[in-house]
Amino acid sequence: MPLDSALNVSASALDAQRSRLEVAVSNIANAESTRGADGQPYRRRDVVLGAQPVDTFDAALGRADAVGVQVKGIVEDQSAFRRRYEPSHPDADAEGFVAMPNVDVPEEMVDMLGAARAYQANLTAIGLIRDTIQRALDLGK
Amino acid sequence: MNTISDSAIIAALGRQMNRAVARETVAASNLANLDTPGYKAKTVTFSDTLDDHLTATAAVGGKDGAVVEEAKGLPTKRDGNTVQLDRELVALNRASADFSAAQTALSAKFRLVRYAINEGR
Repeated sequence: MPLDSALNVSASALDAQRSRLEVAVSNIANAESTRGADGQPYRRRDVVLGAQPVDTFDAALGRADAVGVQVKGIVEDQSAFRRRYEPSHPDADAEGFVAMPNVDVPEEMVDMLGAARAYQANLTAIGLIRDTIQRALDLGK
Repeated sequence: MNTISDSAIIAALGRQMNRAVARETVAASNLANLDTPGYKAKTVTFSDTLDDHLTATAAVGGKDGAVVEEAKGLPTKRDGNTVQLDRELVALNRASADFSAAQTALSAKFRLVRYAINEGR
């Protein structure tokens, strides 16, 4: 049933956008974490999204109209750490510089706004699809 | 000229609902991929013409003819994505309204049939 796969599509998007929000939040939370599990400062994480047909049967037939989205992976940003002069910091090097995570807080905020907006849009879509299903069911009354 | 029968009208309304659902599905897919790099917004076009429809009124059913293809002439974002939030929400609302219109007409049609079955009671 196409409306069913349309719902699945929007649900997959909610999932993906929630992951984006989670990653942005953990980036902000760790914007000052100089010691991660490997002893290195925290590296900024990024979500990789990819299109994914939700209905595998339709996809096999080559008519995948309902294309959802999927988190293909979470990658670490390999750009250089920020360096801050803070000689009293326990993680400071010989010159008094501390390597700080490569997190840019304003950038993460913007990313979060985008994810929240997209989440909202997909919720609206789910509402509209649900209304359509309800109207279809009303025909049987 | 052929007369328009009840069954032809019901079939046509059914087709309208199918199309609305197809458009809704594509708009939902586009919205889901709002941030997918390289995703191209899709649109539904209907390959069958008015002529097909006029002849299809005689034969109940008729073909669907929905073709999903890339939407043309949309600005591309830096990541190669062409989905526009407002455009897709409008498409979704329009499809939903289309479905409602067909559903209203169809339920009126069914009400008439029920009225006849109940001998006007």
